[in-house]
Amino acid sequence: MRLILVGFGVVARSLTDILTVRKQELLERYGMHPRVVAIVDKGGSVLNPKGLDLDEVRRVKSEFGTVAETPEYGSKRTSAVAIIDEVDAEVVVEATPTNLETGEPGMTHIETALKAGRHVVTVNKGPLALALPALMEMAAYNCAYLRFSGTVGGGTPILDFGRKCLTSDKILSIEGILNGTTNYMLTEMDKLGLTFEEALKAAQEKGYAEANPALDVDGWDAAAKVTIMANWLTGREITLKDVSVKGIRDVKPADLKNAAKQGGAVKLIGRIGDGEDDISVAPTLVKRDDPICIGGTLNAVRFHSEFAGNEIIIGKGAGGPETASAVLRDLLEIRERMSVN
Amino acid sequence: MSRRRRIVLKFGGTSIGNAERIKDVAKSVAEAAKENQVIVVASAMNGITDTLIRMSDLAKSCHLDKLRSELEKLRERHLQVVEDSISNPKIRSEVRKTVEERINALEKVLEGISILGEMTPRSKDRVISFGEQISAPIVSGAITDLGLKTKHFTGGEAGIVTDDEFGEANPLMNITKMKTGKTLEPLLNEGVIPVVSGFIAATQTGEITTLGRGGSDYTGTILGAALSADDIWICTDVNGMMTADPKIVPDARTIPRLSYAEALEMTVFGAKALHARSLEPVMEYNRPLWVKNTFDLKHPGTLITRDQNVADGEVAKSVALIRDVAMINIGGASMVGKPGIAARIFQILGQNSINILMISQSVSEANISMVLRRSHLEKAVSALEISLLGKGFANQVNAEDDVAVVAIVGAGMKGAPGVAARVFKAVADRGINVRMIAQGSSELNISFVVKEEECEEAVRALHKEFKLNQAP
Repeated sequence: MRLILVGFGVVARSLTDILTVRKQELLERYGMHPRVVAIVDKGGSVLNPKGLDLDEVRRVKSEFGTVAETPEYGSKRTSAVAIIDEVDAEVVVEATPTNLETGEPGMTHIETALKAGRHVVTVNKGPLALALPALMEMAAYNCAYLRFSGTVGGGTPILDFGRKCLTSDKILSIEGILNGTTNYMLTEMDKLGLTFEEALKAAQEKGYAEANPALDVDGWDAAAKVTIMANWLTGREITLKDVSVKGIRDVKPADLKNAAKQGGAVKLIGRIGDGEDDISVAPTLVKRDDPICIGGTLNAVRFHSEFAGNEIIIGKGAGGPETASAVLRDLLEIRERMSVN
Repeated sequence: MSRRRRIVLKFGGTSIGNAERIKDVAKSVAEAAKENQVIVVASAMNGITDTLIRMSDLAKSCHLDKLRSELEKLRERHLQVVEDSISNPKIRSEVRKTVEERINALEKVLEGISILGEMTPRSKDRVISFGEQISAPIVSGAITDLGLKTKHFTGGEAGIVTDDEFGEANPLMNITKMKTGKTLEPLLNEGVIPVVSGFIAATQTGEITTLGRGGSDYTGTILGAALSADDIWICTDVNGMMTADPKIVPDARTIPRLSYAEALEMTVFGAKALHARSLEPVMEYNRPLWVKNTFDLKHPGTLITRDQNVADGEVAKSVALIRDVAMINIGGASMVGKPGIAARIFQILGQNSINILMISQSVSEANISMVLRRSHLEKAVSALEISLLGKGFANQVNAEDDVAVVAIVGAGMKGAPGVAARVFKAVADRGINVRMIAQGSSELNISFVVKEEECEEAVRALHKEFKLNQAP
């Protein structure tokens, strides 16, 4: 199976690590022989139709900051779109940074790949949050698969788990903690009585929060995940603007004290309820004995379904190798589906 | 009164590549016309079809500046050839007018494509048909210049009717026979020489189609068959079909006689002088086909007929070489005794439009090997891996892209024991390892795969072993 990697950040690099280390196992257990034929990053691209030497490309990336410096196969002047459109490959892995304003450049990459009939695995929430119904239709129309396990919960198979619950049952509601950064901050505020600003500083020092933390603390990252889950798991055709979003900027130490008095904690909860418009992200009081009331950077999601009742999945919500494992899961699923066609 | 002999003369792009050559071609036609009714088929001047393909791509992607400069070059080249190949001013000005009109029409078609930004197979056929549409009037003019009566036609005008498989259309032979009987037959009987554009034809409703690769040869054989020509000459730039590529084997020889079946085998193995499809009409209508050298028409060239001509002791007639191929081996103990694997493999390759040139499976069934075009290799390997690995079908799909196919062809091999032994001993004696072998039950050829770096040596070894440098 030939892959094009678009974006060569932490996740994509971890993926190439896994593909190298587990090469033999992938072949023996899953009959999968992945070959990365092209990688595109900000500085250019590297291309070899026979499959790239991934160790070499990673070495070049860490030394020069771009894969374009790879001897013989690297190039500084190539657009990602041209590579996606023209290089023969079965799957495009889209791993450029999330942009919730326009979805770009991921949106164009995914559209180009689907139109060319290539399957897409993405970890980029931007295009999905802004246009998942359209992208799913585009994939179906072009007989291509669009998979994005890594966008919710990192390596924790939240979407796959939900999809399994959905089979034969009906999911009535989904709620949970979907953003590790804010959960860490709220945990620290609760435990140590920190203010929002102090908690943010702590999170930034730990490397959990970006220099510009708006995506996390204003709830947009969680809202993007809610959007993806609503489409994928409950069949609603919605986009980010359909989610009511409130972040944690206004959460005060006093709110946490009040919550504690009632035997609970304040958590940033993403929720998809039963009603048509009941889709939200907001700081919410959660009882301490509720299994989804977890601390640190963990994610926790509860699926409430008609027959099976409550099912909860908890796991790490982010990380390079974790998310890369979700990408690999998607790749294996696509391969399996392709092989029976 | 019995009819004069009737011959079709087809000239390739190199044969009419410049004004001097066109004048020579005209002289050859005049010579032939002394004793025969002649139908001339002209290719596009060499390089022009590629230029037109490039121009249609430029039009599609709206590179108008580059397109115009290519178009000007094309116009200049043709008009210069008109100047230099026709001396009578009246004929010259008529031909120039026709050529200019057609180039203007080409420009309009290209503009249309650039406005729409799309190119269907149908519009592509329109564009690439212009090479022959422009060359035929020039060749016609050069013959008229020598005092003969001519009339130029596009394939469609001449009456060649095809289906609507644009890009690789198939002639509807009976309709073509009827139509050409009406358009060309009366002219031939009046002593007029029809000059027909090769490669292009038309659907029943008049849409321009093309006949695919080697299409001008095809035009020649279609017309030869439809008009019951006594001989069809394919005039190219080599002395007929050769025992081997003279670039590899310096003492390679022209093969004087071949059967249709042998010629077909050779064309499949890439004999440059002729394309496989062009043999179909002559086989069906049993017309003798000559492959000759435009620059040396006195040389007898190769005569291809229905008869098997096997001289005493003659086993092989030629050694062919196919490069740019790759080999795939699909292996694994799990394949043994499992029905349906071969079917699965070919289904997968078929779904991906990948053509297989050669197949072999050992009795142990532990592997299946196949040869395909190198350009298809990566796609094929990927598709096979996705469908076969991890499914209990196969453990591995291995590719080798540094191989070539060598084939020895000849009707004399049929029923002659020991040919294979001679083939492989000759190759082994030169230290060349054979990777894969196939022989069809027609026994007209044995083909095998060797490393590309050793393939020329293998060709020379076989040429020597079967004494192809000497007349049988």
